[in-house]
Amino acid sequence: MLSKAADRSPPASLPGTAANPRPVPAVRLDGVVKRFGAATALEETWLRVEQGEFLTLLGPSGCGKTTLLNLMAGFLEADAGEIFIGGDLVTSTPAYEREIGIVFQNYALFPHMSVAKNVGYGLRMRGVPRREIAERVDAALALVKLSGFSDRSPRQLSGGQQQRVALARALVIRPKVLLLDEPFSALDKNLRGAMQVELKEIQRRLGVTTVFVTHDQSEALSLSDRIVVMSAGRVRQTGTPDEVYRHPQDRFVAGFIGDVNLLPASLLARAGERATVAIRDLRRDVEAATLRGCAVGEEVDVFVRPDHLAVRQAGEAGTLPARVAALVYQGSHIDLHADLAEGGRVVVRMPGQGALATYAPGTPVGLVVPQGGLAAFPARDAAPSPLPQGPPDSRPSSLPPEPGSTR
Amino acid sequence: MRSAIRRRPFLALFVTPAVLVAAAVVAALAAILRYSLHAYLPGSLDIGGFTLDNLADLGRPIVLRALRDTVLICFETALITLLVGYPVAYALVRTRSVVLKSVILVVAVTPLFLGEVVRTYAWTVVLGHAGFVNATLRQLGLIERPIQLMFTEFGVIVALVHVTLPVMVVMLAAALAHIDRDYERAAQSLGAGPVRAFLTVTLPLSMPGVVAGFTTAFAWTFSAFATPQVIGGGKVSVVSTLVYQLGLSSFNFPVAASLSLAGLVLALGTMWLVRRATRPLEALGGH
Repeated sequence: MLSKAADRSPPASLPGTAANPRPVPAVRLDGVVKRFGAATALEETWLRVEQGEFLTLLGPSGCGKTTLLNLMAGFLEADAGEIFIGGDLVTSTPAYEREIGIVFQNYALFPHMSVAKNVGYGLRMRGVPRREIAERVDAALALVKLSGFSDRSPRQLSGGQQQRVALARALVIRPKVLLLDEPFSALDKNLRGAMQVELKEIQRRLGVTTVFVTHDQSEALSLSDRIVVMSAGRVRQTGTPDEVYRHPQDRFVAGFIGDVNLLPASLLARAGERATVAIRDLRRDVEAATLRGCAVGEEVDVFVRPDHLAVRQAGEAGTLPARVAALVYQGSHIDLHADLAEGGRVVVRMPGQGALATYAPGTPVGLVVPQGGLAAFPARDAAPSPLPQGPPDSRPSSLPPEPGSTR
Repeated sequence: MRSAIRRRPFLALFVTPAVLVAAAVVAALAAILRYSLHAYLPGSLDIGGFTLDNLADLGRPIVLRALRDTVLICFETALITLLVGYPVAYALVRTRSVVLKSVILVVAVTPLFLGEVVRTYAWTVVLGHAGFVNATLRQLGLIERPIQLMFTEFGVIVALVHVTLPVMVVMLAAALAHIDRDYERAAQSLGAGPVRAFLTVTLPLSMPGVVAGFTTAFAWTFSAFATPQVIGGGKVSVVSTLVYQLGLSSFNFPVAASLSLAGLVLALGTMWLVRRATRPLEALGGH
């Protein structure tokens, strides 16, 4: 009801008008909280999704991303806070009046309806004339390259085709927001890549605001305009893929996005926005923002990407002493696992295959730590935010977040 | 084929009990068939020579009425059980409250643990002239004289619904539990309110359970004896009570046997028709 009223008065919601210097976001969450019994599934969350944006909610299972999606969809009711869609307050609007398109993880195509009936369902519920339904269903099926599949049963379709139907069904109602709940998790790897490209193309062509939920950080990095990294019911960081990858604001984000190594260090000095840390006898410059609450002299953890490290001869000046533990051939690159002299293991990602012959296991080497691209956080004992895996006493250690994430 | 059987060395052992049971059933049916085709000797439990007169007896109005009433009572009972059982099963599957779930389950399923006879006598207490229903209505001042509930078709159907309800609820609950909640959510996200989402998605998808529950309730009611006998009290005549009357009151075994066979044929025929009519519905829910 609310939303229909707003449709009739578009000037108020036009972006960039004098009355609204900041465009109306497609979705806005103001201090939304969701609890299940005593457990808080989503702590107070503030979020803006801009018009036409592709926003990804990224985090491990149980981080609250699906709860957040269900709150936007209207399947759950917030315990506190307000939700706006297209400028309209929808906090207590039921799902069927929110005009949102959803693609479910298992697609949820109605098994008792043909492909065309599935796609046309939302239009029938809106009382769209039959002829227009037929036209719009045809157009939607053409968009997802499934023209000619109208009369098939969903059961006769492959996983990828079912997903296209689900996408067409969600888009045909011209939703204000498209919600995607881990839509690629049921597809095999090759198909997944192709579908991602296609989804991104369709999303850009239609300019539909999209909120995408995934636990796959590579999927998030490659598709999103912005990523919201979540863990334990909290938003840890919001930013472009480059921002969250290069400038993690939180040790959870640093560990979850991409592969990362952890080097033990101590805080030497702090000056304005920069701080100096010492990794053994190497001095490095890092952002100070992530070291809040950490006093000079205290232990810190320095995060460095495997591809930012390099290997040199042992004893070379300005390197960290280590010993080669294993070499793992990965096709396009080689992962060299090395044990640091002071304990802990790191991974160095090296292009080319020369390394296989050069660094036999057991060889002492020196690791080159880059000047930039480092992030430092208070040592784990001091930091409240937990890392996804690894017992606390294993620090420092390399942190390949997930087996599948090694690219 | 032979080699396939040899690969299951205990097959003969396992099949033996089934064969024995089947043999007993076939023997009983054969005996009934034999009785139905022989003459009734009044005053004797023996039977006379071969005759088709018993089958002609089935054409008598009292028998035809019993056959018709049986089908009607079965149909009405199955339908009412379905209408009462569906909401109960839906609540059972969908409620998040563990307490409510347990209460529904206990209330819906405990009747199964009481025999049909016990339940039927319980209903005589409820439906009688001084029974619970009449006493309550009288105290509320809604009626002056007790309503006739015992010895009516209505009373019989009420008691029969109680008998078939647990099975219906269990079968519907199983069907509903298999329907992914995301179907309903998808329908809602596409603009269907709760009622339309239920009618266009959940209900069609639960059709296999509806058909299975309906046919089971129907067949169960067809064979019910204690309930129509006690609650009907001779005023409601169905196949099972008429067979009992003919066989054990008049000792007319041959006609009783013919009527049994007629009932069996009618039951199988109706079930076949119900199945046929509901096949398109059942295809709806195939997951």
